[in-house]
Order: sequence, then C-alpha cells, then structure tokens
Amino acid sequence: MARSSSPRPTGFLALLSVASLLVFAALYCVAFVAQPDVTLGIVQKIFYFHVSAAIAMMLCLSCGSLLSLVDLIAPSDRVDALAQSAIETGLAFAVMVLTSGPLWARKSWGAWWTWEPRLTLTLMLLLLAAAVLGIRGMAADGTGRKIAAALASLAAPVAYLIHVAVEKWGGTHPMVLKGGGIQSPGMQLTFRVAMFAILLFATTLWTLRFRVLRLEQRILAIRLEFSAQDVRRSRQGGPT
Amino acid sequence: MLLRLTWLLLRKDLRVAARSREVFGFMLLFSLLCVVVFAFGFLREGEAAAEQVPGVLWVTLLFSGTVGVLRLFAAEEEGGTLQLVQRTLAGLHPLLLSKALLQLLFSGVTMLLLLPVVLVFFDAALTRPSLTLAALALGLVGQAMLGALVGALLVHVRLREVLLPLVLYPLLAPLLIAGVRLTVLAQADAPPEALQGWLLLMAGYDALLIAVAPWLHARVVEP
Repeated sequence: MARSSSPRPTGFLALLSVASLLVFAALYCVAFVAQPDVTLGIVQKIFYFHVSAAIAMMLCLSCGSLLSLVDLIAPSDRVDALAQSAIETGLAFAVMVLTSGPLWARKSWGAWWTWEPRLTLTLMLLLLAAAVLGIRGMAADGTGRKIAAALASLAAPVAYLIHVAVEKWGGTHPMVLKGGGIQSPGMQLTFRVAMFAILLFATTLWTLRFRVLRLEQRILAIRLEFSAQDVRRSRQGGPT
Repeated sequence: MLLRLTWLLLRKDLRVAARSREVFGFMLLFSLLCVVVFAFGFLREGEAAAEQVPGVLWVTLLFSGTVGVLRLFAAEEEGGTLQLVQRTLAGLHPLLLSKALLQLLFSGVTMLLLLPVVLVFFDAALTRPSLTLAALALGLVGQAMLGALVGALLVHVRLREVLLPLVLYPLLAPLLIAGVRLTVLAQADAPPEALQGWLLLMAGYDALLIAVAPWLHARVVEP
C-alpha cells in the first residue's frame, strides 16, 4: 500500500513549514531588499514571483508529461498519481503566471495582453493542461487515466512546436534575463530567494495533491476489496 | 497486410458514407455557413475584406473538420461494433489509419470546393495557388491524423462533443499558426527563404503525428 500516505506526515509538515517561511522571506526581500527598478519602477517587483512561477509551471508540466509517458509504457498507480498531481500543480502556476503577467505588461508594454510568444505559449499550455484534466474527470475511471496520459505525453512535443511557431510568428520580444534587468546584488538575492521559495512551494503543492490522490486510490482499492468479499460471501451462502 | 486491411476498412466506410450521405453533406454545408458567418463578421461598408481570406479559410476548415471528426466513429459506436473491429483486426493500426484517410478525404474535398467559394465571397485571388494548396494539404494531413486519434480516444467519454474541440484545437495550434502564416506569405508573394521554416514546421509535426499517433492509440485502446 501507499507508504507516502502514512497517518503521520512529518516530512510533509516540515516541507510545508520551510516553504511557508521561505515565501515570507521572499516577500520581505521583494519589499525591502530589492531596489525599485530604475526605468520600470515599483511594478518591476512582480518579476520575482512571475518568473519563478513560470519556471515552476514549466517544470511541473514537463514532469507531468514525462510521467504520463512513463505511465503509458509501464502503468503504475504511483506514477499516475505523480503525473496527475504534477499537471494540476502546473495548471495552478499557469494561472498565477497569467495573472501576474498582464499586470506587469500593462505597465511596461502599455497593454494588458499582447500576442507575445511566451504569453501565447503559456496560454496554450494552460488550455492543454485544463483539457487533459477535464477529460480525465469526464471519462470512466480506467479509460480516463489512459486517455489523459496519452494526451499529456503528446502535449510536450506539441508545446515545443507551439513555442517554435509563436517565436517565428511574434518576432522580437523583451528578454528580461538576458537583457540585464537584474544587476544590483539586492535584486539578485531577492530573485534567488523568490525562486527557491516558489519552487519549494510548488513541491509542497505537488506533494499534497499526490498524497490526496494516493489516498483516493487506496480508498478505491479498499472498496473494491469489500465488494469482492461481499460477492464471495453471497456465493458461499449458496442459492437460497 | 496493413495496407490491405486499411483499404478494406476505408472502402467499407466510404460505402457507408455513400449510402447514408449524411456526414459529408453536413460538413460541406457547415463550412459554407462558416464562410458566410465570417463574411458577416468581417464586412466593412458592405465589402468583404480580402486580407481576411487566410484566416477565414483555415478556421473554416478547422471547424468543419471537427464535424467530421466527431462522426468518424459514429457508425461503429451506434452499431456497437467498435469493440468487435478492434478485436478482430491484426492490430489496431488499420482502424486508425482508415479513419484518418476517411477524414482526409472528406476534408480535402471540402477544401477544394470551399476554396473557390471563399475567393468569390471575399473578392480575392490566389497569388501562388500551389503554395497555398501545399500548406492546406499539410494542415489537413495533420488534422486528419490527430482527429482520428482524439476521436478514437474519446469514443466512450461523456460530453465528447464539447471536449473534443477543447483538446483538438490547442494540439492543432502549430499547424494553424504555420498554415495561416504560410497562406499570408503566399498571398504577399514572399521569397522562398521566408516560407521554408514554416513548411518544415508543418511537415515535421505531420511526421511526428504519423509516427506517434498509432502507438498512442494502441497503448490506450488495448486491454
């Protein structure tokens, strides 16, 4: 049975506490350590959480797609739960990226939304992840899992092609990391702390969802076991 | 063997389609309606906008293709024969391939009939017809392969009619972006260097789908 869902989740609680502390530390750094950007002003501070969330989203969704492929090749309940929770966490961070992005874009580019390559790709990833999870929820248990796994493993190469297509389509776009947006040590420190905090937060969410899914699988297994016992008992009782 | 089985299945589907005459006719009618609706949407002072032709063409083919994809497995499902077909055949590949070819045939004919209609309605002419046709062909091949796969996967899913486009359209995004760009570039008579990348992208995606879709289908459908 699932080891990770033992009744005393000490490891998980430790992870949760560290992640929470780090998120507060990151907030402190964003507010007091990092200097406001010279050209963009205070709105540039969205960057610390926005970029970290984008990286967390990419990591979660790539893991989800890869794990789905693994589950398709060698089916296992554990891998399936890992993949599904990864995609769910990725979807949550995609929402975070697409909320913080336009806020920043409004100030720096003058528009809430532009069809800039990365924005477009993030939106498409959000749609794909939502569709995969939606189908999983709609289909019957056994088939939904396989269908979602097939679509999720197809989504990774497609996401790469969408990336290539929108890059060619959109042309030039601002590159914050390469453009030298962060020079001062305070900003660099803040970025590192925020990145670490968000990644740990993502791991926490992922672990949490994974534990819940494993428990669900366990409950299902117990239910099946009970109904099988019922059938056996009624057979032993013989025809009345 | 694969080709023979595929051909037999395709011939069966064509015969059914020829007798019932429902899906293809509705696809055509639906695509015509799409163009009309787009013309209403993009009308400026009573004149249709010729520069919208690439977009109208591709989105119409995307929408009308969905009608076909949704009905691809309808005959098997309604007759309850899908499981039988899946079990009797040597492998599942012929089934998927025959459905993809059927879809390609329907959407290809729709495209050929639709193209002149769009050009007339929007008062436009094709600058480089061969290039536009090549882009459309690449797009329809990808749509047919992916449509057959997604259609097969979703046969037994509730709310299939709603969910299918939700999955199909994001997955078709590379073809749609590249196809529309290519058509725009062809209309603007762009140099070949500008076109190469887009054509390569579409061909690459088609190749990926042709290689991967049968495997994914078999992994999901097999017990």
